[in-house]
Amino acid sequence: MDKLVFAGIDGIVILSVFAVVMLVIGYFSGRGEKNIHESLSGYYLAGKNLGFIALFFTLFATQYSGNTIVGYAPTAYRTGFSWLQSISFMTIIIGVYLLFAPRLYVIAKKRNFVTPTDWLQHRFNSKGITLLAIFLMLWGLGNYLLEQLVAIGQAVSGMTGGTIPYQLAVLVFVIVMLAYEWMGGMKAVAFTDVMQGIVLLIGIIAFVIGGVYLAGGSFTEITQYIATNEPAKISVPAAEVNINWFSMLILVGLGASIYPHAIQRIYAARSERTLKKSFARMAWMPLITTGLVFIVGIIGISLFPGLEGGDSEQLVGLMANEIAAINPFFYWIMIIFFGGIVAAIVSTADSVLLSFSSLISNDVYGKFINPNASEHRKVMVGKIIGIVAIFGLLWIAWNPPGTLYEIFVLKFELLVQVFPAFVLGLYWKRLNGKPVFWGMVMGAILAGILTFTGNKTIYGIHGGVIGLALNFVICVVGSYLAAPSVKKDPMLEEDMNAVNL
Amino acid sequence: MKKEIKEPIRKKWIWIGLVIILLGNVPWYFSEAMVEPFIFGFPFWGFIILVFSVILSAYLSWLCLTQWSIVEDEEEAKGKEV
Repeated sequence: MDKLVFAGIDGIVILSVFAVVMLVIGYFSGRGEKNIHESLSGYYLAGKNLGFIALFFTLFATQYSGNTIVGYAPTAYRTGFSWLQSISFMTIIIGVYLLFAPRLYVIAKKRNFVTPTDWLQHRFNSKGITLLAIFLMLWGLGNYLLEQLVAIGQAVSGMTGGTIPYQLAVLVFVIVMLAYEWMGGMKAVAFTDVMQGIVLLIGIIAFVIGGVYLAGGSFTEITQYIATNEPAKISVPAAEVNINWFSMLILVGLGASIYPHAIQRIYAARSERTLKKSFARMAWMPLITTGLVFIVGIIGISLFPGLEGGDSEQLVGLMANEIAAINPFFYWIMIIFFGGIVAAIVSTADSVLLSFSSLISNDVYGKFINPNASEHRKVMVGKIIGIVAIFGLLWIAWNPPGTLYEIFVLKFELLVQVFPAFVLGLYWKRLNGKPVFWGMVMGAILAGILTFTGNKTIYGIHGGVIGLALNFVICVVGSYLAAPSVKKDPMLEEDMNAVNL
Repeated sequence: MKKEIKEPIRKKWIWIGLVIILLGNVPWYFSEAMVEPFIFGFPFWGFIILVFSVILSAYLSWLCLTQWSIVEDEEEAKGKEV
């Protein structure tokens, strides 16, 4: 994304303004609330009291990261109309939430859960499952965080024309993020998400308007151009593409909804009404987010034909340059838009980091190392390990990997293996701990092997989905073969009959 | 008064509906010639997929608002007392 025409001092000004706004929001969300630092649910779940606006924007800004724009537009550019799938696979996440969120919300409120692991522990009471799930979730979160750190550096150094070098850029925004997170926990994360989400939305909409204007004002002409020059990008997708499309629906739908930070937003909702209203709005967001980004990529085909591989990754920067040149209004909108991309990345990274810390505080430290510690101490341990982890990841981030989309699929492969335990466990009383454990192990191993042997997909089906299928089979068959557990936990019985509450 | 509990998982029609919409939302059922006619700049097949995407959003949004109510009444009642 280098050589932006508006890179330089204007970019630095906008980024500095954003950084200051984030810090101010963080300061005010933490001020006067002692509870935030004294209790796990205060710090990690904003006291389980997020209202509609904050909850909606934190769901939105967390789920849509900078990669959704910077990575997806080039994918649409390269693959053409089959990238319409990015609308479907972001929408289906809400459908998967509907499978488990309603009941999970009720149980989590009642039993005061802080992390997803709390539910697994409550349901299976097995050290093996708890540890394995913690490992898979920390792995997924760590990988995701790493990806965001790399992206922050690329976006900021691109936007400032290299005036702020890549490494310094990452460092500055990491410190800003750590500062407001330290001050206000989830509350700061959610409130900054409101600002970050709004900036992102305005930016995308302006970007599409500018893009269509540049391409001659007519989307029909753009596709006519594609039909004449690159008909493959407009043709009906081949069977393997369609299989891959279905596979993406499963992988992203199940994976994104089971992300620890996604689960924790269910816990953090003030009320059921707030939660379902937020989800109802979220169901529309893919159309105006990934949908518009898809349009950007398609417009790019006619504006900048012939970009290959790595060059196509520069698409958003190339287009932003042209749009900024239209007139001063678009110039400033583009600067804000690029600030918005940075904000979007930060808003994802902060939520992931917070979730990472909560798993350390509540699960690793609080369940295994020092269960009797005060909540204040648990929160402190999570905060500090979170910072250590960030700098460990930064060290890796100095060598950024190639295409962004590749890492995006990778992290889901393992994380999604927690899904059967999590969701089957909510409804199926016969589901037994042992097969759940082995299902997770075998599913993760199979997914890992397939990925590392270069078989990321087989006939278009992702390794993670194949691992997940094996995992489900082991859970179901194993539970039928195992004797139904003799010991019955009355509290659990009550929860699983959910609705005598 | 007996409260009415609505939980999506227990309503089979919700999931049958969802599967049908998803089947419509992946372009496996088009023949190669269905690129034309172009509608609003979209190839015919792409336009149909877009329509199904809108249906999917509308369906899920509507389900959230109308088919999900477990503790809402209690919570809202409590909220008013405070």
